[in-house]
Amino acid sequence: MSIVELSTETLPGVAISGLTIAYRTDAGELAAVSDITLGLPAGTITGLVGESGSGKSTLALSLLGAVQKPGRVTAGSVVIDGIGDITKLDEHALQSVRGAQIGYVFQAAQNSLNPLKTVGKQLLDLGRSHRVKDLRGLLREAKVLLSRMGLAAERVLDSYQHELSGGMRQRVGIMFALVLNAHLLVLDEPTTALDMITQANILQIVRDVHAERGLTTLIVTHDVGVVAEVADRMAVMYGGRVVEHGQTMEILGAPRHPYTRGLISAIPRLTGPVDAAKPLPGTPPTLGTIPRTGCVFRQRCPLRMEICDTVAPAMIGGVACHAVNETEQL
Amino acid sequence: MRGFLRRLAGHLTRGLVMIWVVVTFTFFLIRLMPGDPVQVQYEKLIAQGMSPDQAASATAVTYGFVPHGPVWKQYLEYLSGLIRLDLGVSVDSQGVAVADRVFGAMPWTVLLVLSGILVSFLVGVVLGVVAALKRSTAVGHSLSIAGSLLHGVPPFVIAIVLAAVFTRRYRWFPSGGQYNGDEVAPGFYYDFIGDVAYHAFLPAAAFAIASYGGWLLAMRSSVASVLGDDFLLAAELRGLTRMTRFRYLARNAILPLFTVLAISFGLVFGGSIFIERIFNYPGLGMLLFASIGARDFSMMSGAFLMITAAVIVANILADLLYTFIDPRVRRQA
Repeated sequence: MSIVELSTETLPGVAISGLTIAYRTDAGELAAVSDITLGLPAGTITGLVGESGSGKSTLALSLLGAVQKPGRVTAGSVVIDGIGDITKLDEHALQSVRGAQIGYVFQAAQNSLNPLKTVGKQLLDLGRSHRVKDLRGLLREAKVLLSRMGLAAERVLDSYQHELSGGMRQRVGIMFALVLNAHLLVLDEPTTALDMITQANILQIVRDVHAERGLTTLIVTHDVGVVAEVADRMAVMYGGRVVEHGQTMEILGAPRHPYTRGLISAIPRLTGPVDAAKPLPGTPPTLGTIPRTGCVFRQRCPLRMEICDTVAPAMIGGVACHAVNETEQL
Repeated sequence: MRGFLRRLAGHLTRGLVMIWVVVTFTFFLIRLMPGDPVQVQYEKLIAQGMSPDQAASATAVTYGFVPHGPVWKQYLEYLSGLIRLDLGVSVDSQGVAVADRVFGAMPWTVLLVLSGILVSFLVGVVLGVVAALKRSTAVGHSLSIAGSLLHGVPPFVIAIVLAAVFTRRYRWFPSGGQYNGDEVAPGFYYDFIGDVAYHAFLPAAAFAIASYGGWLLAMRSSVASVLGDDFLLAAELRGLTRMTRFRYLARNAILPLFTVLAISFGLVFGGSIFIERIFNYPGLGMLLFASIGARDFSMMSGAFLMITAAVIVANILADLLYTFIDPRVRRQA
């Protein structure tokens, strides 16, 4: 559907098209990501929002060709400028691209560092794995990055993971992702499990390094607030599909898909009564309960129509919903 | 370094306290044995025509304390003897100092136990990694089965089988001794070391075969759990080479096994009684076995004490080793 739509956007840093990723389970191959077409324009920050199990992390991993077994890409492509279709690369090519051209930052609560080695030693491992000749230069670059993020670089390089706080680990994670000059940065839940002030700090850092280094950034989160704060563009995922995407301000200002609307009205406001926030009724589907035909959201949808049971809505003008398309065409 | 020294001092203190507890326990245990061996020997000597004074001092030489008088006084005398490494004299072969026999037998048992444990640890760990990485293939399954199968067989059964097959049916290995005294004299040269290894091979193999299965299974589950850790995925996403990631995996997976290694040292040391007996290998276990048979109580308590001390020292060494390989422990010290 969207080749035309992609071409209307600026030159994409990443073009995901028709991407389907399925996990092999006892009940057969189940798609965690279905037929997603999405562009990450060069130089932008894109926020990918969704509930747990919506397939957003699987999508993020696919940008590094790192969908974990028993999952695999069953259809579609992920074309990255300067690299090509990453789903077609062999293991050796993937190894040299990861870390060097695409940086990945884990959730802070996840331990992304080897607990038995200091940060500095792991940095040297990174350099050797990528055949960096000038290891001193690499250390220098790491120190610049760490100081830039407000850390005592020397001390951090000499520390083990357990000696760093959550916020420090996250900054170290960002340093690892960028120290080899990657231009595509993928952050998976970068602020989850951090306190509010640290969250704000990390987001500020993400914004700053993004601008300074001219990155293309994808930030995966379940927190609409994070997207509102940093992302130029956003995409909303539900049940393995992107249901709405576009400029962040436009979507947050006037959400069109009933799921997006539900998400936004579920956020409690700082002022006004607490119960003004309306939780979405029902629960998100799991891998096994995602509807195979029709619209994935219909069971929780207030605008459900007959056609929703049988036909998956096409992405038209940034939103995939039969009801919305019908009313907007009127 | 200062942290390390403080740690070492703490360990030594605790080790000494533990040895003291065991010594006290053995002291009273012997006094509580049916028939009170101390009293029995004392009375036997009198019956043989010694004067009570002579009998008392003869018994005192044997056990390191005077057989009558207040218990606390006997206990203190015993302790002060121990501090001078005087473990008394053998009851069975009069005039032989227990300490000499025990210290003479000790190195041979340490040799068996250490080589057995190290070989089984290395083999088990390597096979465990393979079993974990190939756990859904035929290789992985058969390794796990081989591991659990032999893990269930007690070491002395394996020792009996080895002894029967390789010293009786096929006379490939010697049927006893530490080395062949007729052919080689003790010393640090190739022939002697070769002969010692030749004699120690079967007993050490019995230890190794009996315990490698445990290491295999432990390493397999440890590797499987580390494989699920986020930092390995992170390493993959940073583009670290396969070899580097394997090193990360191996070092993290082997760590919990070191604690078990220390504990197993104690178990294997205890198990050496049977193994040495079966292979006629004159070590500490054999000494203990013989002294039990001859009701040689002073020798028994000396051997007990030595085994206790060896286990405690092994634990201390393991713990210190741990501080070198796990930075989380090191920096807290």
